[in-house]
Amino acid sequence: MNVLELRGIHAAYDRIDVLFGVDLEVPESSVVALLGPNGAGKSTALRVAAGLHAPSSGDVLVAGRRVNGVRPEELARRGLCLIPEGRGIFPNLTVRENLRMMSYTGTSEAVIDERAFLRFPRLKERFTQTAGTLSGGEQQMLAMARGLATDPALLILDELSMGLAPIIVEELYEIVAQVAREGVSILVVEQFASTVLGVADFAAIIVHGRIARAGRPAELRDDLSKAYLGA
Amino acid sequence: MIESHERVEQFKQEIGDMKVRDPATGRDRVFLRVGIALMAVGLGVAIAAYFMSHGTSNPLTQNDAVVLAIAGLTSAVVGGALFLRYSLASFMRFWLARFIYEQQAQTDRVVEKLGR
Repeated sequence: MNVLELRGIHAAYDRIDVLFGVDLEVPESSVVALLGPNGAGKSTALRVAAGLHAPSSGDVLVAGRRVNGVRPEELARRGLCLIPEGRGIFPNLTVRENLRMMSYTGTSEAVIDERAFLRFPRLKERFTQTAGTLSGGEQQMLAMARGLATDPALLILDELSMGLAPIIVEELYEIVAQVAREGVSILVVEQFASTVLGVADFAAIIVHGRIARAGRPAELRDDLSKAYLGA
Repeated sequence: MIESHERVEQFKQEIGDMKVRDPATGRDRVFLRVGIALMAVGLGVAIAAYFMSHGTSNPLTQNDAVVLAIAGLTSAVVGGALFLRYSLASFMRFWLARFIYEQQAQTDRVVEKLGR
């Protein structure tokens, strides 16, 4: 069964159409990468999937249920977690306070800390430091730790590698692969494809708001240069 | 942490139990018809009340006719509001679908031209 499915999604900002009939499936316990050049509509597709942007037409199905019009917080409360581009942490709060924010789900603070430090031991060293003073990689770790603290069933990651050194990106994707092995379904959007294709079970290339190609990562490697360079 | 399979099952269960507003237009059609019926019945009652009051010199019966006429007019106004609300919704839905279709067709034409 697909944990997430987009069927014929059209989306627009005011009168500017961005997505044109996007079909995408995220099967249970798998990592799906949505790749494409800047401005292709990747982040909009994620926003539609998370309920943050209403599609003009088409269906969003979560766990087989049509959820068009459902408020994003309703989906989040049930286990859909979006880690947005730019990380979405509170820079003026400490790591500890950022993690405490996730107790809205009813999870105890001790459990939140335990989950965070299990995967990101470095955050323990930075526990009382304000989030804005962390390095880019540590901020992304904090964003992921906050997302994983909610024990999500479906994790949506937007541009995980944005502004990070390749070694940090690899480290983060190792954690993504580990989370996927634990049974969490993951949809990840990336502009830089090489690392994510190493952990993805399926991938789709989006160009000009349309899915140009979808399949196993190995099948898509050759199409990436066409998508990015138009070659 | 909950076992992964158990977590997925819990997720499916919770999503399944979620109250999602039914987007079907069936209910709109019912309200539209109710609106038309209320308008017709209300006007009919008001007209009947007019003839009722003219057909008698008994003030008590005339009072009854006045009450009936007011009820009929109220019913017609409520029916009119329902009719307007749901016929407008229907029209706007059609207009939006057509607008999206035309935008899509236009984009397809542009993409096709650029591809040449």
